[in-house]
Amino acid sequence: MEINIVGLATAAATFLGVWLGHVSVRKIERLTVRLWKPTVGALALSGGFAVASFLTSSMPLSAICGILSVTLFWDALEIAVRQPKRIKHGHAPANPNNPRHASILAEYPDATTIDWLDRDPRGTPYSSAELASIRESAK
Amino acid sequence: MNWFGFWLCLATLFIIGLGFVWVIRGERYFGHLWWPYVMGAGALCIVASLFISNNWASALLGAFGASLIWGSTELKEQAVRTEIGWYPFHAKKILPPFVDVIKKWKAPSL
Repeated sequence: MEINIVGLATAAATFLGVWLGHVSVRKIERLTVRLWKPTVGALALSGGFAVASFLTSSMPLSAICGILSVTLFWDALEIAVRQPKRIKHGHAPANPNNPRHASILAEYPDATTIDWLDRDPRGTPYSSAELASIRESAK
Repeated sequence: MNWFGFWLCLATLFIIGLGFVWVIRGERYFGHLWWPYVMGAGALCIVASLFISNNWASALLGAFGASLIWGSTELKEQAVRTEIGWYPFHAKKILPPFVDVIKKWKAPSL
């Protein structure tokens, strides 16, 4: 039986595209003041991979380029829109050393430097008093 | 012009989008401790994709396998999200076989 690597190439591109996107979007949004620069960069890379996916005759390469194109397009949306929204709602920790985040911290009461997700599940919901005390500990 | 990558990337976007749904629903009713089974199922899909000669079937199974593995690493954070009130918390969960062994392992989170 012949081995077909198209599925493996697709899987690798999907997993690495999502993983690297997940990590780098958070890092880039945290450190960057002007978000349009990385947003345009991700869109340009996305376009480049899209063109490459059309031009190659190799099926695994077309798959890899296509998927990286779409994950980078999503990363642009995450950098420009979705991650800043998480910061405003306190769903991702703000970086007080970034002036853009500092003004979000001043303007949005839910914004926080706490990383709420940096804990293990304990099996029961937190009470509002517990949540308030965690929030207080960051001040 | 090779359109394979283009159509495949749209299909993959849909598969990744489905991941949001099943991670949220799956964690709510089954809990995050199913992660090793989900991860194993993802790895099996990817291995199986190697033996499928049809490019579309192989690619879709590969993308689905990768999204299962990714989702398995998201379950722990999703469990925390429900506990801190960002998503509904469901107390009665259907726990996986060998749950006591799995509890001793560190759940992955990337």
